[in-house]
Amino acid sequence: MAPIAGTIATPTSDYARRVDAVSTNQRALDQFLRGVERRALRMAELACGSRDDALDLVQDAMCAFVKNYSAKPESDWAPLFHRVLDSRLNDFHRRRTVRSRWLAVFDRKTDDDDAYDPIEQAEDTQNPGPLLRLAGSEAGKALDAALKALPLRQRQAFLLRMWEGFDVATTAQVMQCSEGSVKTHLSRALTALRRALEDHQ
Amino acid sequence: MNRQEQHLTEQPAWIDQAKTVLDDSARDLDATTLSRLNRARQTALAAYRPRPPRVWLLPAGLASAACALLLAFAVWQPHRHAGDTGTSPTSTATAAKSGETDATDEASPEFYQNLEFYAWLDAQNKGGDG
Repeated sequence: MAPIAGTIATPTSDYARRVDAVSTNQRALDQFLRGVERRALRMAELACGSRDDALDLVQDAMCAFVKNYSAKPESDWAPLFHRVLDSRLNDFHRRRTVRSRWLAVFDRKTDDDDAYDPIEQAEDTQNPGPLLRLAGSEAGKALDAALKALPLRQRQAFLLRMWEGFDVATTAQVMQCSEGSVKTHLSRALTALRRALEDHQ
Repeated sequence: MNRQEQHLTEQPAWIDQAKTVLDDSARDLDATTLSRLNRARQTALAAYRPRPPRVWLLPAGLASAACALLLAFAVWQPHRHAGDTGTSPTSTATAAKSGETDATDEASPEFYQNLEFYAWLDAQNKGGDG
């Protein structure tokens, strides 16, 4: 009788264990995303200059991360999430470069027209925006401006290395480049930032 | 303190300041943005489907391999039968040289084409005998 009871109990307990594991993993994912989302939003906002675009990028990165990497060990989640986000930022940057080229062509063709001007309607990325109003201080404004002025790779190297606290190897893994490139990007970023922030130290 | 040491001691100060400013800006996000971030997170988590273990891969692979073997055997088998039962041109030529006649020879198209000649020859032979 005991073996029969065992065979009946095993699938139920397996199912219960699996449901428990799923909910535990989902809770862990929720906790992890809750922990990284604000910094991710700031990174995206510095890269694309728009809060709405940044929110879209972060949501895309979250969805892709949950879909593809949620089964990975929790210790790997942070580098993997930032890798996904970094890819999204690169894609956005590339798309914007292509779009600006087309807009430049369009602008040349309709130079004499008084019609709708897309450049005039485009959002001013140099506008301080709500983030800087939140930062409040002169130092915050200067830092934001200096970070926005950096090339994408240098800014990512600085933020991942200095703000997220990843080591060189992990940063290289996130940015999908060599450790030497990370060091070069970081060195240039630090030089540029130090020069830009000298007045505010 | 030389210039390099001064540079090294100065660097963490402004970097720390920058980190503090960035931390503050991330912490003090407005309620609307936090709400949208929350919605984005919930959307991502709603798509969470743990991948079931792929236990079907082994039986499916074995079944595919068995089918491939069966197909290969079925394709190969008729050729082997044809080789076993078919009459090769070499063996036919050898039989013709040796003058052997059998059912296969009688059933050849040449035999049927000359059927009238064979009938006449047969009648002549019967007439000669009688």
